[in-house]
Amino acid sequence: MKQMIVKGLMAVSAWAAWPVSIFAQSETPAWLQERMFASGKINTVVMVVGGVLIGIAIWMFALDRRIGKLEKRERK
Amino acid sequence: MHTAEITHLLRLEWQLDRRQKHVWGSMALYVVSTIYVCYHGVRHLTDVPIWNALFWIILLFAAFNALGRSFQREDAGRQLYLYTLASPRSVVLARTAYNALVMAALSLLSLAAYALFIGGTPMQAARLDIFVPVVVVGGVGFALVLTLLSALAARAGNGIGLMAILGFPIVLPMLLSLMKASKLALDGMGWNVTGKYVLWLVLIDLITVGLAWLLFPYLWRD
Amino acid sequence: MKGCWWKGLSVLLLLYVVFMGLHTPLGPALVHTSIDRIAPGPVTVEATGYNTHFAKESPQVWIENDGYRVCATAVTVNSDVVFSAQFTVPAGFHSNLTSLWAWDSVDGPVVLRDAFFTEGLGKDLQGEGCAVGTAERSGFSFPNRTILNETIRNLFFHVPMWFTMMVLMTIAFWQSLMVLRTGNLDKDQMALSAVDVSLLFAVLGLITGSIWARATWGDWWTSDPKLNGAAVSVLIYAAYLILRGSVPDPHKRARLAAIYNIFAYVLMMVFLMVLPRLTDSLHPGNGGNPAFSQYDLDSSLRAVFYPAVLGWILLGVWAYTLHLRAARLNSIADEANDR
Repeated sequence: MKQMIVKGLMAVSAWAAWPVSIFAQSETPAWLQERMFASGKINTVVMVVGGVLIGIAIWMFALDRRIGKLEKRERK
Repeated sequence: MHTAEITHLLRLEWQLDRRQKHVWGSMALYVVSTIYVCYHGVRHLTDVPIWNALFWIILLFAAFNALGRSFQREDAGRQLYLYTLASPRSVVLARTAYNALVMAALSLLSLAAYALFIGGTPMQAARLDIFVPVVVVGGVGFALVLTLLSALAARAGNGIGLMAILGFPIVLPMLLSLMKASKLALDGMGWNVTGKYVLWLVLIDLITVGLAWLLFPYLWRD
Repeated sequence: MKGCWWKGLSVLLLLYVVFMGLHTPLGPALVHTSIDRIAPGPVTVEATGYNTHFAKESPQVWIENDGYRVCATAVTVNSDVVFSAQFTVPAGFHSNLTSLWAWDSVDGPVVLRDAFFTEGLGKDLQGEGCAVGTAERSGFSFPNRTILNETIRNLFFHVPMWFTMMVLMTIAFWQSLMVLRTGNLDKDQMALSAVDVSLLFAVLGLITGSIWARATWGDWWTSDPKLNGAAVSVLIYAAYLILRGSVPDPHKRARLAAIYNIFAYVLMMVFLMVLPRLTDSLHPGNGGNPAFSQYDLDSSLRAVFYPAVLGWILLGVWAYTLHLRAARLNSIADEANDR
């Protein structure tokens, strides 16, 4: 179950990063690639969006566990 | 809330504290011994920012120590007595005013001891007519913020430790602007530069008193 | 699904924000020149653009110093993003900072401000110099700012975290007022849930802000009033949770926590409003820095930013209601256990 959720998350983040790779395309010379992308400019956006998603995912797992415990108590 | 009630309570505080001379001694001793320990660590400081920062840190912890006991000394019996005697708003205003006076005196004492041990070189170029009021406003501001928190911590049945945790984030913004204002005064800047900081500190003080006045009755009743 | 429309709205808004925020191209700009210093006499400059279309239409190129323009005598286009231009730099520029401009009808005017340090200053040059094209480009794009570049997109994923945190803290403040008025324990649980979720958004704001600061200002943490304000609010609510932990009796805990929350919230708000105006800040719109609104000439940022704020706030409120419902079920189960 958890593996499935992780896989889903990975798919979502890959989807979110896809348009980024589209316009980070060709034509830009090597030094610019270094300056704009390798130096962390577009990577920064990917990291920020990824950070938000991971944070919310962790919170969701915490809530999931809370509700799981409740369900266990209910069954008793 | 009556002025007569407040002055009466203020006098009561004063009489109680005059009877317990060791309270005054412990506050003064705390400040002086802290400064003395610092003196052994750094000897004479001539660097203005560090001198300034160390002074405010010492005064902040002195304030926590002095005001932490503000509502601690109350035993249940005396609290009930005060409760039946006076309105809670008078009690908190009297206690706040009393603490403000104590902290004003304590901040001046700290400044004197600090200048004596750590050195007064940074004060030579300072506008003392601004610096000393800033120090007093700072001490009074600590008193105003920490009085309500001291009552809160006492009610939570937890001592100075909890008050420090509750008080630190609230005092921090105040401390930042105090350090800035006193640094400017030490650099010899006039009222036109430091004025807005002092004004903002006074504003915070007024808001704090207002909040204490509003919230204390809920804290008081049990 | 009654009462769920706003949850769907939040998801739709955030989908729109993710799509538009990541898919909209940056506007064209000049980002690099082969030399960074000019002196009177003939000069050849190779300049690099970003998202420009020089190969489609050869650009008009000029340098501008204090409102006076000097046009290029010859321009060779190497590719869509690289051209080289020749100038005869006159003596007598007013300022020692000269900007490089290019204009073509596809990209509109593009500029690298203060591209060259200038020698041979004087007072002789008057008027505007040569005439140039001014037609703006058409099409939806985000402004391309020096230093920020692509990271301007973070506006939609960092700033709304703080807005959401504020909204949740305001909910907690309101519920604390209700606790003092009614003494209702459920209101206390509402305040606690709002604080819990607001801390999640505070942490997200700190993390995203740190990453962004590292890429633009070069440091993970700077002493900035906005950052101090964020640190203070996190500390205040951490202290709030500690205060709750140290009081065993639920009614007393509710009252003490409410008093602390009201006290801290009001002072924090005053601090957050006033202090940025007293000190310098690296953040836009503070201490002499231009606000983002000044960069945003065609409102393209706003068209994504406002939906982003609303979407994140709705998501935050949704998270808060989930947290609250779980907590209520928990306390019901607790009561059942006690019986």
